[in-house]
Amino acid sequence: MTRQLDSRTENEKPAASKFSLDAWAVTLALVLSILVWIGWIKHIPW
Amino acid sequence: MASSLALSQWRPLGNFKRIAQILPGLLLLAAVGYAGKFLERSFSAYGKAHHLTLPNIEYVLWAIVIGLVIANTTGVPAAFKPGLATYEFWLKAGIVLLGSRFLLGDVLKLGGISLVLVAIEIALSLLFMTALGRAFGLKPKLTTLLAVGSSICGVSAIIATKGAIDADDEDSSFAIAAILALGAIALFIFPLVGRWLGMSDQAYGLWAGLGIDNTAEVTAAGALYSDAAAKVAVLAKTARNAMIGFVVLGYALYWARKEGTEGVGNKAAFLWAKFPKFVLGFLVISAVATAHVFSKDQLTSLANLSRWAFLLTFAGVGLRTNIAEMRKQGLRPFVVGALGEVAIAFLTLGLVFGAEKLLR
Repeated sequence: MTRQLDSRTENEKPAASKFSLDAWAVTLALVLSILVWIGWIKHIPW
Repeated sequence: MASSLALSQWRPLGNFKRIAQILPGLLLLAAVGYAGKFLERSFSAYGKAHHLTLPNIEYVLWAIVIGLVIANTTGVPAAFKPGLATYEFWLKAGIVLLGSRFLLGDVLKLGGISLVLVAIEIALSLLFMTALGRAFGLKPKLTTLLAVGSSICGVSAIIATKGAIDADDEDSSFAIAAILALGAIALFIFPLVGRWLGMSDQAYGLWAGLGIDNTAEVTAAGALYSDAAAKVAVLAKTARNAMIGFVVLGYALYWARKEGTEGVGNKAAFLWAKFPKFVLGFLVISAVATAHVFSKDQLTSLANLSRWAFLLTFAGVGLRTNIAEMRKQGLRPFVVGALGEVAIAFLTLGLVFGAEKLLR
């Protein structure tokens, strides 16, 4: 984990993409919501 | 925490090479999560078939335990780590989708109560952790990182603060290890204490959201109690996450003044950069659901999508926890963190009992 922890600090470096992890997660959730709303995704079982 | 290598490199919609890097770990998350779901059903079916009264062990616990066993016995091969790191992405997507299960009015009411409690909790936790760090002779910046990690939102807050106050890599590693170890312990202790005290779903959810540090552990600890408790826990934690920018800004200004370095230029831009954007996504989906845009079946589908996303997260919580590696990080930060966490757990429990009338 030392390596894992150390490498977390990589997060501080400028990201290659202007989109953050949060922004991608929000985008995916919104796209899925739209697909459900317009009926492309009919039913998600659990 | 697994493989930050991964977390920093991972960007959805990247090239095929990146997708190929992510795939093994993602499949492992899915396999462990689904195994948890399968075991929950099988265990329950076995009890019914043999007329046995077995405890109902939720898929959440199975998934975490399977992940813990893998991570601490065989270990997770490097090829899986980029994919494992996506657990945080699924957590955030799951929280946004969870917004569909809230009416905006409830979000504002419960979120408002949470924000008041969060403000009290943050102020007292920061003061207590700072005093504790001084008493144990920890380095001031390590104390700052531990204080921020335990009062706001765990690893994300530590990483954000580390950059803002220019702390050592070693300090942030210590703080992250302590906060993660304590989060893993709290995940199992909170539901037991909640049941022992006979707490309502709302009160317990609020307590878990205020008292546990990492969002993934909060979600899991809530789900271990009940579905309703998980909803409240996520909402309270989301309110807590929203405060991250203000606290990090405060510490950035404090350390810049103390060390005579250049302070923060544009404070509004700084706050926006540190603000967790998934909170906005959560509010948008909640507002859309409140406007009755979705049918009942569609709301069920969105709720189930959120559950699938959390399933991957819970698997990640277990798979990223390496107990042997945590031990190597040293005892003192862990002791300070543990004492602080116990105090914060009691403090937040008192706050929740105090606010319980408002929750009804």
